[in-house]
Amino acid sequence: MRNRKTDPFLLEIFKNAFDTIADEMTLTIVRTAYSQIVRDSLDFSTALCDATGRTIAQGVCTPMHLGSFYDALQTMLWKIGDDIHPDDVLIMNDPYAAAGQHLPDIYIVRPIFYENVLRGWATTLAHHSDVGGIVAGSNALGAHEIFQEGLRIPVLKLVDRGRRNATLWDMIAINVRTPDLVLGDLQAQMAAGATGARAMVRLFDRYGADTVLQAIEDLNDYARELAEAEIGDLPDGVYHFTDHIDGIGENPEPILLKVQVEIKGSRVVIDWDGSSPQVAGGVNATFPFTKACAYAALRSVMKADVPNCHGFTEIIEVRAPEGTVVRPVSPAPCGARGITGYRMIDCLFGALSQAAPDRVTADGSGGSTLPTIAGLHGGNQFVFCETVMGTWGASLANDGLDGGPHIGANQSNVPVEMIEQTYPIRIEQYGFVPDTGGPGRRRGGLAIRRDYRLLASSATLNIRSDKRAYPPHGLFGGCEGKPSMNRLISGDNAIVLPVLLKEPVPMKKNDLFCHVMPSGGGYGPASEREPERVLEDCRLGKISIEGARRDYAVVLTKSEAGIVIDLDATQQLRQARSRAAE
Amino acid sequence: MKGWRLASDIGGTFTDIAFIAEDGLLSTIKVPSTPQNYASGVIEGAKALASARDLRIETMAEMAHGCTVATNAILEGKGARVALLTTAGFRDVLELRRIRVPKLYEPLYVKPLPLAARDLRLEVRERVGADGSVVVPLVEDDVCKAAEVIARSGAEAVAVCFLHSYRFPDHERRAGALLRKLLPGCFVTLSVDVLPQIREYERTSTTVVNAYVGPPVKRYLEGMEADLAAAGCNARISVMQSSGGSISSDAVKDKPAQIVECGPAAGVVGAAHLARLLRIRNAITFDMGGTTAKGSLIEDGDVIFAENYEIGASMSTAGAIAGGGGYALKLPVIDIAEVGAGGGSIVRLDRAGAIKVGPDSAGAAPGPAAYGLGGEEPTVTDANIVLGFLNQQSLAGGTVRIDAGLSRASLERTIASPLGMSVHEAAYGVHEVANATMVRAIKAVTTYRGRNPRDFAMFAFGGNGGVHGASIARSLEIGRIYVPAAAGVFSAVGLLLAEKSVAVASAFVARLDELDYTAAEQAYVQLQREAERLLGVSGKARCMRQVEMRYLGQAFELIIDLDDGHLSTEARSELRARFDAEHERRFGHRFDEHNAVEIVALRLRASDPDHVVPARLRHALKPSETTSRPVWFGKRYGFIETAVVGRAEVTRERQAGPVIVEEYEGTTVVPPDASVFRDEFDNLVVDLQRGVA
Repeated sequence: MRNRKTDPFLLEIFKNAFDTIADEMTLTIVRTAYSQIVRDSLDFSTALCDATGRTIAQGVCTPMHLGSFYDALQTMLWKIGDDIHPDDVLIMNDPYAAAGQHLPDIYIVRPIFYENVLRGWATTLAHHSDVGGIVAGSNALGAHEIFQEGLRIPVLKLVDRGRRNATLWDMIAINVRTPDLVLGDLQAQMAAGATGARAMVRLFDRYGADTVLQAIEDLNDYARELAEAEIGDLPDGVYHFTDHIDGIGENPEPILLKVQVEIKGSRVVIDWDGSSPQVAGGVNATFPFTKACAYAALRSVMKADVPNCHGFTEIIEVRAPEGTVVRPVSPAPCGARGITGYRMIDCLFGALSQAAPDRVTADGSGGSTLPTIAGLHGGNQFVFCETVMGTWGASLANDGLDGGPHIGANQSNVPVEMIEQTYPIRIEQYGFVPDTGGPGRRRGGLAIRRDYRLLASSATLNIRSDKRAYPPHGLFGGCEGKPSMNRLISGDNAIVLPVLLKEPVPMKKNDLFCHVMPSGGGYGPASEREPERVLEDCRLGKISIEGARRDYAVVLTKSEAGIVIDLDATQQLRQARSRAAE
Repeated sequence: MKGWRLASDIGGTFTDIAFIAEDGLLSTIKVPSTPQNYASGVIEGAKALASARDLRIETMAEMAHGCTVATNAILEGKGARVALLTTAGFRDVLELRRIRVPKLYEPLYVKPLPLAARDLRLEVRERVGADGSVVVPLVEDDVCKAAEVIARSGAEAVAVCFLHSYRFPDHERRAGALLRKLLPGCFVTLSVDVLPQIREYERTSTTVVNAYVGPPVKRYLEGMEADLAAAGCNARISVMQSSGGSISSDAVKDKPAQIVECGPAAGVVGAAHLARLLRIRNAITFDMGGTTAKGSLIEDGDVIFAENYEIGASMSTAGAIAGGGGYALKLPVIDIAEVGAGGGSIVRLDRAGAIKVGPDSAGAAPGPAAYGLGGEEPTVTDANIVLGFLNQQSLAGGTVRIDAGLSRASLERTIASPLGMSVHEAAYGVHEVANATMVRAIKAVTTYRGRNPRDFAMFAFGGNGGVHGASIARSLEIGRIYVPAAAGVFSAVGLLLAEKSVAVASAFVARLDELDYTAAEQAYVQLQREAERLLGVSGKARCMRQVEMRYLGQAFELIIDLDDGHLSTEARSELRARFDAEHERRFGHRFDEHNAVEIVALRLRASDPDHVVPARLRHALKPSETTSRPVWFGKRYGFIETAVVGRAEVTRERQAGPVIVEEYEGTTVVPPDASVFRDEFDNLVVDLQRGVA
């Protein structure tokens, strides 16, 4: 471990310097981006890479992006050969031609030259508000082919030796619904690239190229060694897990995700063999994205603060057969591949729970559901879309977070008041649904409910939820979470919507869309939950007296002094239930 | 001397007392803090300082005070039991927060507990639309029923936050009036009074924080006043706000949430004052103490405010970008970046052989290994002792004994020997790694605002500010560092230099091109009245009117000064132009005239024109004996026998480094490639040679 050439102090100083540059790139985007999805939801990522495309440092943004940059840069390097010059800027988004993610995620890459030698890449990836295609926001579920999903950009030069490629800018502008936002966000990405490149050149100036390049090698080694030590702590073994996406449309066909995680010494092999073939709907996850999800899941079970550089991914091998939903081939659509990404991480946590039972949670609500309401109001078109995140499963130590982001994408909710001020929508309820947390020694997080009333005369509604047929799993005897439920209520008439809509459904004025997310799974047997914790949940209105009895065999009574535990009755009930179970 | 002013700044270990005489002469004193009853430490310090300066505490007119009571109530979970009234359907907004968490890859993350527990978050039927229209009238009976629950619960404070109340405050006001009638003695606070602004989570959280710290702050200030009075001192108490202005204790009792970050704010205010005296427009403040280091900006001579402040949030850059780690408080708070790297920060090797500094600290006990109080692990201070940056026999003017051998032994054992290097090289490495962590934090503040630190001067203070200031400035490519006199008690000095000022705001939503000037004027007049009441001024306050605005449909507001104070058709186009310009400066771009601009709030910054801040600042510098010791300035220089002097021995004449300046409150290191002189305000001015790595 100690044969690195850079002394450990200098290595830490370089690590800080690289992280600082990645931070600066991140902050430049936060500061200069135009769209809310980039600026407020932070749905973007930044990375500093070496000349061969290995990541040196990453901004702290979206875990599901981080880790896919390497493949994209390999494709780019192969494509451009030596046709690269100072003041070039490259652009790409295509999942197939450019190892991208889905079309809204556009890469902007700037070379870093020092003393006329290519020394690295300042790379950013941002989720753009729209790239055309059959639905606003370009997150279609119902597309059959990628050609329906919007503008495909192979590896191209957006700026060539300092000259803007005007043709390409015009092509982009005319193909997207929100040209101001898209062009503005592209500029922000370019500004971040320039910031990163400039800062890196200053570092070369200060320390000399050889010292910096050596530090990059040593940082990679260090990250790998630290990750090796972390994985080495886990018991060797082969761990399996299976999960499903409910399926698309009125008669959903379950989409199978099947994973095998093999831990051997300090190496991990993740194999998705046996997962569903690719589907004719936008949930296909490209292979670079599948890898990024694997890295994010593994990184989450590591306790140490492993640097987010390429080195830590070198000990993780990801395999998947071509033509599957986790490694589709062209022209499979990928617009809503995020949902498969979330599910892959959920599935990996299921497998990893067997190796690291103290590090992972039972299943949560499965990532953001992107409710989208679009229509005309007062003669103007509006498109409302937000990230609604859910709730967490329980862990060995903790009850599931009541309300939290998926581990794959640390995104925020949108304030109710901001929505109502901007759109003809009134949010009538936003809060927890009592009695929903998956029962367990540690309780799963409560389901979240958000109700939307339409104030415009008509609109269409789109939603990508999941986990109704296959609710969030519990762990080690903990119960499942409650399934999701989406209803459209029109006067006295209520219809239940499919989990993943093939195409948007119409809404009329005053219709109410009632969106209930799944709740988190429990951890450990509910019969082992301390009655005091059940009482506390009941006092807080997170569980009812009936629920306490039904789910936990804890008898609570309401008296003058408030709610109290009937210890004798609880003991009797718990004994009776355990006898009945035998 | 009659009517004199004293400053007292309470910290975890010490209470700092400061006084500036009419001729500008500054006196300071440090006494141990007395956590059982902070007033006794303050009184003891005040008496000691008074007798040294031939003053009597009976004639003290005012005590400018900085305290930790509000912050500690939150950090230690010792605030009031708080109830919260919300619009029906929204009781969980407080607990859901903005969903995002401050740490990536952490499945075991736990959110901070909500400051109002769910059983005391009570829903009331009422609903106001985004345009201020009433959708569901307030059901007063629900408020009465809630009051019964609150009365039974023993809650000491109630916060009220209804949706869109900033557009139509009537429901909140009526609910508040009912609660005050039904719950006498209860601290009732309304969101329209605390933060009349859009975004329900931030508004609710701020209002709840206000309720949570209200009762403890009130008790604290009343206790302090009573104890001062009992000691024969009838001075008024003014308290520093997180915004950097001080205000009367009565106004604080109304809106206590505004004093949470008062200690660090006072230091920045002091630096801003010095910057104005020196005619420096842009500066970075660097305040390093025992457990943390803090950085902030001064731009155009003024402090800057944080946009998304959270109390008790994580100090990492990741946490600062993502947010979600603490309790949102959307009042004016000086933007201060903080990292867990101070003198007491522990140094370790991780399992793959990398050096980590902090964030855990050895604190005051056991403290650094050199203290000999059982601290086994080396700290940043130990490294600085081994290098010779700090005195190797004693610190704090001889009051703390040092055993440099223990520093050397612990660094040798845990760092140098496992890495096979000399203890000096290891110590130097630790010093530099500590710097790198701080540089990252400071860069986060400057980059976020689109500024380049190279264009700034640095003010270094706090006990360790002068030890690390030069190295950090070099990394940031800053050329000049000022280390003010009394740097170790600089927050107390800042308390005396602060203006008496308040910032007030009211929601006022209108498109700029459809503005009703009369309504705006009325709102400003009302704000001014409110500000004058808070300031307790009999005459007119000095006011700066401001407008908070944004592009229609965007979520990011900017505050623009309204120089001549009146909104008119001409002022409107001027305002638009300034908004566009500021947007471009801040965010790198502007939209064209087709994008409408809307006003979301009117704001007013008001100060007391009669409050006089000392115009001069002098120091009685005592001569000290010049000694020397070998100091290690890295491999390039090796050991250099370095002169160790007091501040008095540094002259107006520029003197080449290396030099070490030792004082009671701290040490300043002038490296070999730098020079130092003492300016007319007795600041140590350290100049770095440009272009040296």
